[in-house]
Amino acid sequence: MKLSTQILLAFTLIILLSVADSYTNYMLSKKVQRNSEFLAKSEEIIRNSNKTHKTIIEMQSAFRGYLLTDDRTFLHSYFQGIKIVPILIKEQELRLGNTNKQRAILDSINLLQTSWVKYSEELIQARTQKPVAYRKLFESSLKKHVGKKMNDAIAGKFSRFDKIEYKKRKYHTDMLLGSLKYAHTFSFIFLTLTVIVGVLSTIFIMYVTNRRINSMVRLAENISKGNFTIVEDTRNDELTQLATSLNSMSSKLDKNIHELKNRNAELNKFAYVVSHDLKAPIRGIHNVVSWIEEDHYNELSPKLRKYLEIIPQKTKRMEALINGLLDYARLNIKAPPQRINTNALVHEITDSIITRNISLQIDDLPDLYTERIKLEQVFANLISNAVKYTTQEGGKIKISCKIFPNLYEFSVKDNGIGIAREYHQKIFEIFQTLREQNEQESTGVGLAIVKKIIDDQQESIAVKSELGKGAEFIFTWRNN
Amino acid sequence: MKKPTILLIEDDELDIISVERSLKKLESEYVLHSAYNGIEALKMLRDNALGLIPDVILLDINMPRMNGIEFLKVIREDKNLKDLKVFIMTTSSEGDDRSEAEKLGISGYIIKPLNYTENTKRSDSMDAFVQFHLRKILLDENI
Repeated sequence: MKLSTQILLAFTLIILLSVADSYTNYMLSKKVQRNSEFLAKSEEIIRNSNKTHKTIIEMQSAFRGYLLTDDRTFLHSYFQGIKIVPILIKEQELRLGNTNKQRAILDSINLLQTSWVKYSEELIQARTQKPVAYRKLFESSLKKHVGKKMNDAIAGKFSRFDKIEYKKRKYHTDMLLGSLKYAHTFSFIFLTLTVIVGVLSTIFIMYVTNRRINSMVRLAENISKGNFTIVEDTRNDELTQLATSLNSMSSKLDKNIHELKNRNAELNKFAYVVSHDLKAPIRGIHNVVSWIEEDHYNELSPKLRKYLEIIPQKTKRMEALINGLLDYARLNIKAPPQRINTNALVHEITDSIITRNISLQIDDLPDLYTERIKLEQVFANLISNAVKYTTQEGGKIKISCKIFPNLYEFSVKDNGIGIAREYHQKIFEIFQTLREQNEQESTGVGLAIVKKIIDDQQESIAVKSELGKGAEFIFTWRNN
Repeated sequence: MKKPTILLIEDDELDIISVERSLKKLESEYVLHSAYNGIEALKMLRDNALGLIPDVILLDINMPRMNGIEFLKVIREDKNLKDLKVFIMTTSSEGDDRSEAEKLGISGYIIKPLNYTENTKRSDSMDAFVQFHLRKILLDENI
């Protein structure tokens, strides 16, 4: 499966679980809200029921008080009740709606109350205006507890009404508690699952990617060090594609570098063999000429002697050219770096190269850690160049060094014939020599060797010179 | 007294002449036989087994038909020839040739310089070089 699909799946699962959790809590909050609305309404119903009952009881005691004392002030509460009770009952009817048990009870309360009011009104009227009728009524209904029975029935109905209401309230509360518990459980499960899925998928993705990315980083490091290994990756996702690309890059690089090395080795061998085989006939020619001169010199005519003298000059030049080529071909051979006393090295070189009278000044040169043969060849060629191009008398060569952090700037300066500006670049090309061809010493390879070494080591070289005013070669050398 | 015998195995005419000339310049007299390659040398050694047992062999390495190394291998396995004193004289400076020759038992390995200009300080010519080494060999080996 693709890595992005895996990540997408994990995130989708986490989001779905979070949504489920939120939905559970939302539903719970809705239930709580509905319940609190119900409780508020229930509170009003009970309050109304109590108030109605209280008003009715006050009416009853006012009625009884009046009948006993004939004091009309008692009747104030009674008339108040007559006005209020229907309003309260109407209000309660609206709250309860049309069809339920409590409505039926309320209707019967209303009916009983109406008939009690009728009964009490009759008695009050009689008590006020017709004492005879009142007495008769007193005997027929009051004494027989007609009103009291009605009152008791009303009280009983109210009690039943309230009981139903409380029962309903309890049921709702229980339901709410139940769903609270239910919601808590689900919310806990969803949250736990979210955390588990999140942690597991994070660990999984980290496990899948980290190890592989690390192995690819190692591969890249190996490649930069020149070890063209490959990484094993058998999963089938984006990282596998990357690994495959890296592997193919690595093997391609390996192949190319291998090829390059082979070709270099072949080329080196070729140059070596060619130079070696070219030298043998030259030696032969030289030998034969020397034998002729040794054994038959007296038999030769002056002209022949003169011609014969030309041959060694030419063979020597040929040999110098071949040696130059050999040196150039050998440049590719790598040697391990070592500590080098540059002072001693330069003195050794000047001792072996300078065979005539030249004023030589060598400043104090630093010790270096580098490939000896390369530095030696650069100095040898520059010094031998300086020797070649200074005049027989009054030649001066100065070798000095400027020290920078991690970098040295060496200078080989002479007071020789100098180099015109237009040749400053050309002198570094192979077989470029600014002298006449038959001057055997200059082959045009020396500076090409210097340039190749400097380029290979990623150093730089520059020449400061004007025709007739000497030349100064300045090159840098890093100290590793 | 019998003159010491030298067998030169060398394919280059110039080198043979050079050795001849050098020997002539030495104080004592020597008998020089030369063969152009290993096969020819073996034939000479085996045909006249009694007449030609040289005091020293000068052996080149790069030769046609049978080169110096092959020749060495053959004589080291031949019970009549295995004790011959052999000096290598070659222009080959390849390390492989040298180590292989040394494994097969040689008395010396002389690399002939191809650069005569480099050796101007020591000797003037190829002849002088050969002469110098021949004298040294013959003295050291008491021949």
